[in-house]
Amino acid sequence: MNYGFLINNETCIGCHACSTACKSENEVPLGVQRTWVKSVETGLYPNVRRHFQVTRCNHCANPPCVRICPVTAMYQRDDGIVEFDPEVCIGCKACLQACPYDAIYIDPDTGTAAKCHYCAHRTDLGLEPACVVVCPEHAIIAGDLDDPNTEISRMLAEHQVTVRKPEQGTAPKLFYINADAATLHPTAVPRTPATFAWADVLPLHEADEDHPADTFPAAPPPAPRKSSSGAPLRAPQPQGMPAGGPIHIGTGRMAEQMVQVAYNAQHKIPWHWPVPAYLVAKGIGAGLFMLLSLGWGLHLFAFDAPAFIASGLLSLICMAVTTALLVFDLERPERFLRILTRPQWGSWLTRGAFILIAFSTLAGLWWMLEVGAYAALWPEALAEAARPFLLWAGLPLAAGTAAYTAFLFGQAEGRDLWQSTLLPFHLLVQAVMAGTALLLLVATVLTLPDALLHTTRIAFAAALILDLLLTVGGEFGMPHASEAAAQAAHLIRHGRYKDYFWLWSVATGHVIPLALLAVGHPLAGGLAGLLCLAGLYCYEYAFVMAPQEIPNS
Amino acid sequence: MPRTNTRLAGVLAAMLHRERDDRIYPGRADDDTFGLPTFAETDLTPKKVTMTTVTHPDGRMSQYPPAEQWGDWVEWDGRLWPKKVARRYTLVPTVCFNCESACGLLAYVDRETLEIKKFEGNPVHPGSRGRNCAKGPATLNQVYDPERILHPLKRVGARGEGRWKRITWDEALDEIAARMRESRLQRRDGIMYHVGRPGEDGFTNRCIQAWGVDGHNSHTNICSAGARAGYAFWSAGDRPSPDYANARTILLISSHLETGHYFNPHAQRIIEAKQKGAKLITFDPRLSNTASKSDVWLPTWPGSEAYVLLAIANDLIQNDRYDKDFVRRWVNWEQTLEAIANGQLSMDKDPLVAEIALSAAPSFELFDRVLKHLYAEFTFERAAREAQVPEARIREAAAYVADCQGRLAAHTWRSASIGNLGGWQVARCLFFLNVLTGSVGTRGGTSLNAWNKFVPRPFDVPPAFDAWNELHLPHEWPLAFYEMSFLLPHFLEEGRGTIDVYFTRVYNPLWINPDGFVWLKALKDEDKIRCHVALTPTWNESAWFADYVLPMGHAGERHDLMSQETHAGQWIAFRQPVRRVALERLGRPVRFTYEANPGAVWEENEFWIELSARMDPDGDLGIRRHFESPYRRGEIITVDEYYRWIFENSVPGLPEAAAREGLTPLAYMRNYACFEVTRENYTPFEQPIDAQDAEIDAQGRVLRNGTVAGVVVDGTPKAGFGTPSRKLEFFSPTLARWGWPEREHVIPWVLRSHVHPDHIDRDRGEMLLLPTFRLPTLIHTRSANAKWLYELSHKNPVWMHPSDARRLGVVPGDLIRVETEIGYFVDTVWVTEGIKPGIIAMSHHLGRWRLQEQAGVSRGASNLVTLAEDADAGRYGLAVQHSARAWTSFDPDTSRIWWDDVGVHQNLTHGVHPDPVSGAHCWLQKAVNVRKADPGDRHGDVHVDTNKSMAIYRAWAALTRSAVDHSPDGTRRPYWLKRPLKPVKNAYALPEKPFGR
Repeated sequence: MNYGFLINNETCIGCHACSTACKSENEVPLGVQRTWVKSVETGLYPNVRRHFQVTRCNHCANPPCVRICPVTAMYQRDDGIVEFDPEVCIGCKACLQACPYDAIYIDPDTGTAAKCHYCAHRTDLGLEPACVVVCPEHAIIAGDLDDPNTEISRMLAEHQVTVRKPEQGTAPKLFYINADAATLHPTAVPRTPATFAWADVLPLHEADEDHPADTFPAAPPPAPRKSSSGAPLRAPQPQGMPAGGPIHIGTGRMAEQMVQVAYNAQHKIPWHWPVPAYLVAKGIGAGLFMLLSLGWGLHLFAFDAPAFIASGLLSLICMAVTTALLVFDLERPERFLRILTRPQWGSWLTRGAFILIAFSTLAGLWWMLEVGAYAALWPEALAEAARPFLLWAGLPLAAGTAAYTAFLFGQAEGRDLWQSTLLPFHLLVQAVMAGTALLLLVATVLTLPDALLHTTRIAFAAALILDLLLTVGGEFGMPHASEAAAQAAHLIRHGRYKDYFWLWSVATGHVIPLALLAVGHPLAGGLAGLLCLAGLYCYEYAFVMAPQEIPNS
Repeated sequence: MPRTNTRLAGVLAAMLHRERDDRIYPGRADDDTFGLPTFAETDLTPKKVTMTTVTHPDGRMSQYPPAEQWGDWVEWDGRLWPKKVARRYTLVPTVCFNCESACGLLAYVDRETLEIKKFEGNPVHPGSRGRNCAKGPATLNQVYDPERILHPLKRVGARGEGRWKRITWDEALDEIAARMRESRLQRRDGIMYHVGRPGEDGFTNRCIQAWGVDGHNSHTNICSAGARAGYAFWSAGDRPSPDYANARTILLISSHLETGHYFNPHAQRIIEAKQKGAKLITFDPRLSNTASKSDVWLPTWPGSEAYVLLAIANDLIQNDRYDKDFVRRWVNWEQTLEAIANGQLSMDKDPLVAEIALSAAPSFELFDRVLKHLYAEFTFERAAREAQVPEARIREAAAYVADCQGRLAAHTWRSASIGNLGGWQVARCLFFLNVLTGSVGTRGGTSLNAWNKFVPRPFDVPPAFDAWNELHLPHEWPLAFYEMSFLLPHFLEEGRGTIDVYFTRVYNPLWINPDGFVWLKALKDEDKIRCHVALTPTWNESAWFADYVLPMGHAGERHDLMSQETHAGQWIAFRQPVRRVALERLGRPVRFTYEANPGAVWEENEFWIELSARMDPDGDLGIRRHFESPYRRGEIITVDEYYRWIFENSVPGLPEAAAREGLTPLAYMRNYACFEVTRENYTPFEQPIDAQDAEIDAQGRVLRNGTVAGVVVDGTPKAGFGTPSRKLEFFSPTLARWGWPEREHVIPWVLRSHVHPDHIDRDRGEMLLLPTFRLPTLIHTRSANAKWLYELSHKNPVWMHPSDARRLGVVPGDLIRVETEIGYFVDTVWVTEGIKPGIIAMSHHLGRWRLQEQAGVSRGASNLVTLAEDADAGRYGLAVQHSARAWTSFDPDTSRIWWDDVGVHQNLTHGVHPDPVSGAHCWLQKAVNVRKADPGDRHGDVHVDTNKSMAIYRAWAALTRSAVDHSPDGTRRPYWLKRPLKPVKNAYALPEKPFGR
């Protein structure tokens, strides 16, 4: 048994019956959709067409939402239906990030993920999904792909079909007959036009009242260079960003008239400030510990009880803040513990949670031993004996704490920019940078041993330089292979997030701190640390937000 | 912050003004029996049974719960899944009421809580075949609408002030019946039932007939009058019934795959035909969904359609590719030649005229030459020029028509026929193609509605009334289809009459008609409309100006019997109050439907029975006896008895079908809610008739007892058509005799539209406003209380071609001001290649408004407006205070309303354009100026000068040719032409004192 859908665009008339039948059958609240009809107009009068695409969960054979779910709230049944359990879901929204098709939403009533579930409650009784039954045109065909005698199998054998984003490797099981490229490709039209033909468009950001249009680079001016024949040559364009959009006619960009979305469902951005804040807090926590552990372990500085206890406390506080932010960002925070009680080990959210716990437990144990010894609650020897073991053992856990998010982002298959191979290393560098930055800030009010301070400064400077290289020379210098990643990077470098990137991250977060470090004054060092942390937050904010702006449907 | 301020202000105002306290806020906590539906959990588990598999001609096989288990059906709850919560329902079939298609619905009623879980399709319904459009499932929204009207309301304070008190049904019935009785005692034209959506066949008309008054008024003249007239002059049938599923060529002057008349049933069959290889041709200046699915899209300039149709006809004629045998047998060509010979049909000074006059027995060959001569001027080149479409496309369309092999399914209903001056000729020219291709009533061709619709006779048919209401059909429009309903306020303004009791039923005249401010003025005038009773399930703009607002049920809350011409076959469908049926199935009998419905929501059937009986308590008016039970002598009939009689006596085959299942006919219909009467119903006009004792007149007509019963064709007496000649009337003697003798009227021809390109000067900022198109998700003015539909579609920006947008300097989302002949409105633009340059278009359902924050049209679907009225100066306006808003109710969804723009009420700015022949309101508007909005203009602003609108009315009225001057026989109207309710023949005499003479 392997259920799938076939949508016949030759017969679909764009009537939206499936949309309301689904709302009715599954009591879907206003503002969210399990299925909708995307409508795109293409062509020039009088050669114009309106293309419809019934859009919904693809019930992928290889569903990324299932892989990322930390608690098995989203799962694939043996009959191929990808289903969810609202009683289990903790509302982490990771599946929304993992789905490259915008199929999943958060139910405003339950705060849990929801999507098309193939009307499994009907299918199990032998009834078809509600959308199939209502469709006046029999344009939606549901059935078993394993059985060659089902209507869906027979039609698949007879027709040429296509799926959305086959390159994602998700193997969608929703096939389209006669699909149009303009409806299939989410980026063929701007995500938020000023209006749809018969419905309002919600701005992606509440503050945007005037719907700023997506900006494309202007067409390049004629270059001074000529070919050997004397023909003027065009200058090469930036990679991945076509000048002036898809089609140029005459002097104006005609793309709005040629390809425009008349109707589409609208999706909200799932992750906001808590996620970049969590990245920063976690970076500080892990970075501080790594500094202490490595510096002491490699004899770069000696153990100093007040400095180590203060730093350790800061690290633990940051880990507490990290956990608090993670829980806060859940739609169902009271279900947080389910990550531990019903872990789905394939999810990096689960793995990360256990890494965080292991690290925090170990760091906490070490810290308590040190504090107890310092306060003479038990012999100093006890702390000394445990110190090498705990600090060395904590090092990989701290590194894991810093880096695991890269693997989680890697599982977020709906956000191509996040799937960077540099990211684990980048996060490690950021952790060192953040940890040392905070320590320099602390040094303005607390006297630290010279060796520690010296090592911190050097580590901080090195991390700043390395991070700058990784950012400018790596992640945002290299062109991005996928269009979605390129567009997100474009938003960061040239679009909505350019100030976060250039002004805050690069200038305020790296260049100025480096200059301040050169001054050498402790206050300057503290300021450098502060600016670096502010810049890091802004970088993470841009990095988290921008890919979520690129439409997936 | 502004929202908080408004809310605070509302609370303060309510505290300061004590009189506000007695206002009724429909749906608010004052009726705590009404709220979100709850469903009971059952211990039973759903059984895996063999589902009913419905195999459709298009290959579809659908699974439905088997009908024998509808009474007790267990299913898992979808919302709570994968938690297995079982619900136990009784499935009650009913009929959708969200358009006129009468599609089947199946209501899932919880056996314990009696709440409705959902409406699915009824698999045994022959028209909709188990499927629905977006509007079917959304019926649920209407049932659980937090703002619905739950109890009868009576106005307190001035009309339109918005103060109401709740009354009982008894009070409402007694008070209204007393007024009706009083009126009926004085005159026969004082009661008016004005219907928007009938949603039933004949129940109410029978009541009006029983009252003995000329009281039926409809919305037809803003809807289908043009097309009806065009079809009727040909055939006496007044609408087409194409057999799409079997067609080879489909020609639509409408958007059937999007809206059309019977959207869901027709769309199914059009696509079915397309899948089998049929070609689809669509005329529409706008890229409708239908146009988008077409093989040939002809974006004709409005008013040019007849040129294109006649060019296609001419191609068939000149190349001898028309069905000569069919034309010879069934067209009144002999009458036509006679008309040419005696000068009734002008042919200039062609030698053919003399030849015809001299010929003793003119041959069909002569007629063929006449056709060739008459239509030679309609070339493809000319059509392309007039329509401003590529000639190659017209030729392609013509080739598909020529190749149709008697299977041309063609339809026009509104569109060009209701848009243009002379639009009735568009329908006539379209049917001309059916006639020429022999596709009349054939398999895959186009039938007439009456052949595919079945209206059973009730237990009692009251006699025709002897009355003629001057407000319905004044002498100026003797051929109108039908009542000149949209001019009612203009007639009242002129002093043509008054109304004692005015019922509006699923009708919102102030909103839907052109020139709404003239309606507003009339509705407020208690001298002209003395009592206004609004029968409506929800608030609308007109009901606000009523004296009584009586809540009548939605689809699953009422009884009606309906049939529609969805395909070549006949069926009846039985709309049922599903909770009442569920209660009765559970052994809890219900006397009146309001006992089962939410609040005190009733249904018209029982209301009319009770009202009519109270109007004539002693029977002295002769009314009561028409409402007495055929089963219980002297007792008032129940709704069960009414339908029981029909199902037992008037539906052929139904009693037998019921008996096969061991059921009474009524029980059968309660179980299935539909019955197929005939299928494969083709060419009934060819039916031979018995002419043994009959007389055959000179025209070959079969006369029996003085009435025409048929016509002899090739020696065989046949049923024929309903026209005076019993044939298809190419030449219309009726038009010739009733004052329209010119060639462009008496035969299919082109009439010059009021929006001909010559009348629209784009360089001066003029454009053509196409205000009529519909969205597949909306229901005229009845969608406002369906949240799922409004979420999908809630605004009507002005569609504009990029070339026009560049000329005006606007981009999508910009505000523009559209000036019409009588005023202007302000709206945003939607720039698209999918509209013909020079034309702007707006969907017509949107722009609803209310006058008070907490009452009136739904808050999620309407603008709160201030009404500016200066009746003396004729100046009226709407100013939008704010648009849609979220608010708190028992339904959490109302707090999630995310949209803002709910459109602009454009109809207020439309001048009235009564066609002098069909009486249709010619909807297309000349936008005298379209430009970027002024800085002070706000979205939704509307301004109108009613002095100008009365001047437009007078200018169009001056185009008419009155029966007083042109009647050939001293009557007001040709007796053979349809009227929804025909009075006795005597009432047809011309008035002694015609108005204005």
